[in-house]
Amino acid sequence: MTTTVAQTTQVYQVFIKANADQIWEAITKPEWTARYFHGARITVTPDRYDSRSADGDVWGDSAVEVFDPPRKLVHGWRSLYDPEMAAEDESRVTWEIEEDEGGVCLLTVTHDRLEGAPKTAAGVSGTGWTGVISALKTLLETGKPLYG
Amino acid sequence: MTDDDHVFKALADPTRRHLLDRLFERDGRTLTELESELEMTRFGVMKHLRVLEDAGLVVTRRQGREKLHFLNPVPIRLIHDRWIDKYAERRVSALSELKTRLEGRR
Repeated sequence: MTTTVAQTTQVYQVFIKANADQIWEAITKPEWTARYFHGARITVTPDRYDSRSADGDVWGDSAVEVFDPPRKLVHGWRSLYDPEMAAEDESRVTWEIEEDEGGVCLLTVTHDRLEGAPKTAAGVSGTGWTGVISALKTLLETGKPLYG
Repeated sequence: MTDDDHVFKALADPTRRHLLDRLFERDGRTLTELESELEMTRFGVMKHLRVLEDAGLVVTRRQGREKLHFLNPVPIRLIHDRWIDKYAERRVSALSELKTRLEGRR
């Protein structure tokens, strides 16, 4: 196994057969996020990004920088679900939705400003974001969660 | 070609797999940096990067005058979910259990 320093800017991209409004709903409403984001109930308003476990524990609580439905969402990221990661600097997540041809959208997720959050950077890389994004694609395209 | 075809085609070349490994080690590199590690012309590296980009395995971002190349692992994950999970997981885990058992006996 190759060991590597997790990247301070990570880019993830996927085509999803869904329209931009559906994708926007799926990333900003808790009833959707609970089905693909490790069970997290995420509520995004123009000024706050709030993520909670099914039991109501706070997993994420950050400011929203850009709220431009259904095109662009930028919010802070702190991994409050893990005490060590929670102590790290806040990083940033950008969601961009671009409509392509044939009812398909290109979703790009960029997680950056990870310089002061090495544990978070390692935690979200590898199977972290790819798992969430792959599950989101499956949920929107088939109506069913990828796992469970 | 389907999305999967593009990904398999892109991965079916040692130079392109090497480029992905370089980006896995350190992401966000310029063409010049990537080129310096390969015995290949700039044009050749560009051509391979183009195939990787078409397959969605590499995403580029402009930063000032530079174009940075990022590894996008999502297509590989989708292939994993589509192929490995479905066909191989049970067999692979049976084999790895066998390996552990046999090696444990030594």
